Amino acid sequence: MTTVSSAIDRQDPGFIEVDNTVDPVSGRAPLVLGCRDFHDVTHSVCRVNEAPKAPLAWWVAFAISLSLVGFLGVCVLYLILTGVGVWGLNNPVMWAFDITNFVWWVGIGHAGTLISAILFLFRQKWRTGINRFAEAMTIFAVICAGLFPGIHVGRVWFAYWLFPIPNQMDMWPQFRSPLLWDVFAVGTYFTVSLVFWYVGLIPDLATMRDRATGKLRQFAYGFFALGWRGSMRHWHRYEVAYLLLAALATPLVLSVHSVVSFDFAVSQLPGWHTTIFPPYFVAGAIFSGFAMVMTLAVPARELFGLKNIITLRHLDNMNKIILVTGCIVGYAYAMEFFIAWYSGALYEKFAFLNRAFGQYWWAYFIMVGSNVITPQLFWFKAIRTSIPLMFALSIVVNIGMWFERFVIIVSSLANDFLPSSWDAFFPTWVDIGTMLGAIGLFSTLFLLFCRYLPMIAIAEVKAVMPQADPHGQH
Amino acid sequence: MSGHDHHTAAPKIPQSAIVDDGRIATFARAIFAAGVIALGVGLYVGWKQGNPNQFAKIYLVDFMFVLALALGALVFTMIQHLTKAGWSPAVRRVAEAHGANLRWLWVLALPVVWLWWNGRSHDEGHGPGLDLLWPWANLEHLAAHDPAEAELVEKKSAYLNPDFFMIRNLAYFAIWALLANFYFGRSVHQDSTGSEADTKSMRKWAGPAIILFGVTTTFAAFDWAMSLSPAWFSTMFGVYFFCVCCTIGFSAIAVTLLRLKQLGFLNGVVSAEHMHDLGKFIFAFGVVFWAYIAFSQYMLIWYGNIPEETTWFAARQVGAWAWLSAALLFGHFVIPFVFLLSRWVKRWPLLLLIGGVWMMAFGWLDVWYLVVPVVPSDIGTFDTWNAFAAAHADATTGLGNPAIYLILFGMLGLSIGSAAMRLSRVGLTCRRDPRIAESIAFENF
Repeated sequence: MTTVSSAIDRQDPGFIEVDNTVDPVSGRAPLVLGCRDFHDVTHSVCRVNEAPKAPLAWWVAFAISLSLVGFLGVCVLYLILTGVGVWGLNNPVMWAFDITNFVWWVGIGHAGTLISAILFLFRQKWRTGINRFAEAMTIFAVICAGLFPGIHVGRVWFAYWLFPIPNQMDMWPQFRSPLLWDVFAVGTYFTVSLVFWYVGLIPDLATMRDRATGKLRQFAYGFFALGWRGSMRHWHRYEVAYLLLAALATPLVLSVHSVVSFDFAVSQLPGWHTTIFPPYFVAGAIFSGFAMVMTLAVPARELFGLKNIITLRHLDNMNKIILVTGCIVGYAYAMEFFIAWYSGALYEKFAFLNRAFGQYWWAYFIMVGSNVITPQLFWFKAIRTSIPLMFALSIVVNIGMWFERFVIIVSSLANDFLPSSWDAFFPTWVDIGTMLGAIGLFSTLFLLFCRYLPMIAIAEVKAVMPQADPHGQH
Repeated sequence: MSGHDHHTAAPKIPQSAIVDDGRIATFARAIFAAGVIALGVGLYVGWKQGNPNQFAKIYLVDFMFVLALALGALVFTMIQHLTKAGWSPAVRRVAEAHGANLRWLWVLALPVVWLWWNGRSHDEGHGPGLDLLWPWANLEHLAAHDPAEAELVEKKSAYLNPDFFMIRNLAYFAIWALLANFYFGRSVHQDSTGSEADTKSMRKWAGPAIILFGVTTTFAAFDWAMSLSPAWFSTMFGVYFFCVCCTIGFSAIAVTLLRLKQLGFLNGVVSAEHMHDLGKFIFAFGVVFWAYIAFSQYMLIWYGNIPEETTWFAARQVGAWAWLSAALLFGHFVIPFVFLLSRWVKRWPLLLLIGGVWMMAFGWLDVWYLVVPVVPSDIGTFDTWNAFAAAHADATTGLGNPAIYLILFGMLGLSIGSAAMRLSRVGLTCRRDPRIAESIAFENF
């Protein structure tokens, strides 16, 4: 018999006695700890949303985030009323914080789809513990990303011209421009991610509906649960739809950031025009996405008592992915540098020496230090399983990946072919305010998600428990 | 799992399924002997044709093909250990056996040592040097013949010079032999001991091993293929060659397994489930990832339209080469994409066999495409693409030369013969891998 109180007691960190980061040579380490049965899982997840009051820490974080959103509104309004001159842009450096932030946020969004689609196709069962909020994070990150090109166009009231809309002037966007491809790529990505996330939510929304006590909750969850009853037929169709969506979403993981990389790589600018950009950007995106999942997962599992579902093993695995993608990013940096020398081209060589030793040398060293060097610490299991260290390293990666985009964009633009046109970029308070405001928007949305929707894919986690596999060896 | 870490009982695999009854050994000897003969005849035919450069390129393409096969099989093995895969121990032995050819494939590279040695002597009348293939190996000759290119190439002579080239090659082959030997040897060792220490050791080294593999194959691709056009460069080239290895290697693993099953081996060990997964590997890496990388490299260079980069593709789009480029687009991507997409195709042995052989053939053609075309030295003298294309409309791919296929058959015969001999000696599956029971029982959901 499982009582509510015993399930809650078992959320106590002291309960976790099994070290599931040990990899047995045969058999598999357990992915869910401390839940005796399916009901325990449901309860552990739902009680976060059903608690009458959110924890104090949630309110504090929400207040800070919401203030930042307010500030974002101020910055954007000021920009619209005045013009993009309020940013620190100048003649050679016409892209800076805006596009850096755009690429950074799009990149962060990649972890969700990778976890829900590619890891699904690779049968990585541990993904079930983290996929729901990684997907949510994806959607919020893409919203933040979309903000920047939207306000960067200058005359925001014409932003709809980004889309090829038939009009009486017979004016069309340039179909050969990767900036237009971006509109399609990011738009498709957002749509598919949202559908994927929502389809995954349906069974859990039905659970929330069935557990709801108030009329409003019953109606709201019930409305979005689309009449889910959990019949065999429902599940069968659900599984088919999920597999198909995973297969459709998989190319998107590669395509979106590839198209973003085309924004730069199709040009002739040294430091931008290089063929490795597409896979390099994709690896970097997954890298930064997992770092952001880590940054969110570590406090969330503490705050909401989910350590038995988002176990140390999940974190360990994510750290391994951060290590792998960090190495791929390091490979790309090395290739760029080597080929810049090997090309024998004056401008190529200059672009890379300038990155490392020019006016933005400090940004370059932050980038290499945070993206290539410090992640190497994850070779050591003691570090992969240390909560404070992995949290700190994940933030280092987030910063490093922001600087990667800054270095690519600004250092190449600031010092181009003609020394007389060189300049430097300095951010204004509006640049910085917009950047922080977007972070506020992201965390506001994320905090709302944590409060009102099941943070863990309840049904999927149940399916990877030993009880779900009657023929398994247990 | 916790509470059930009891030793998994070794599954009952009938000996007849995984032990050679003599037919594999016979086949191995026959194909090896045929390979020796074909290689000998091919070399003779090629030599007699009196075009040393063409002959050397044919040899290089065929060599890179069998090398890519072994490298693809090696990286497959390493990925399985890195990810601690449970589905693959049943099929891993075949990959290990192909990969283990890296122990001796350096022998086929020995003619390069001869070229290098020739190039060192400055006497009159010495044989051809490394510049038979790689123009950077003789800067004086290059300067006389194409001064603009020589000026560029001279800037990279700290990297592109014969001695350093040889040292690098020594490192590549030593590292590959070491890795292949380790992953084959340890796995075979486990067959007799059943020791978990073997699995742990193979897993532990998988990460560093893949990094070593990545660095060596990248630079090997630069050295052998990219530096054939020494002025040209692409940061993607190493990744492209990785795709070549995956295409050929993964297909070869699938084809070998299907053939073994046709002969009646591996019943109750390797099922349609495993073949389905191998089909996915071919589809994902050989078809889709290859197309992604090839498209990205091509599109970015086409779009940037910088002459020093586009010349490489220009040489591949004149005359008959245009047809070959199109053949790759359709044969390496469009057709196999549609063909291998469906689940039932990957689970139907004959169809997957056709798909695997097809992909190996186009993998070979891809190497031909990378290695053989030469950027015409007069390319800078044309004002328009059309004028250039018209002037070189008679460019041929040279695919009609019988020496190509004799040498290819020869090298493939040696490779397959050695791998088959190995399988005959050590058995067809990793029978005491701790996850073999899990692997045999594995099902796609």
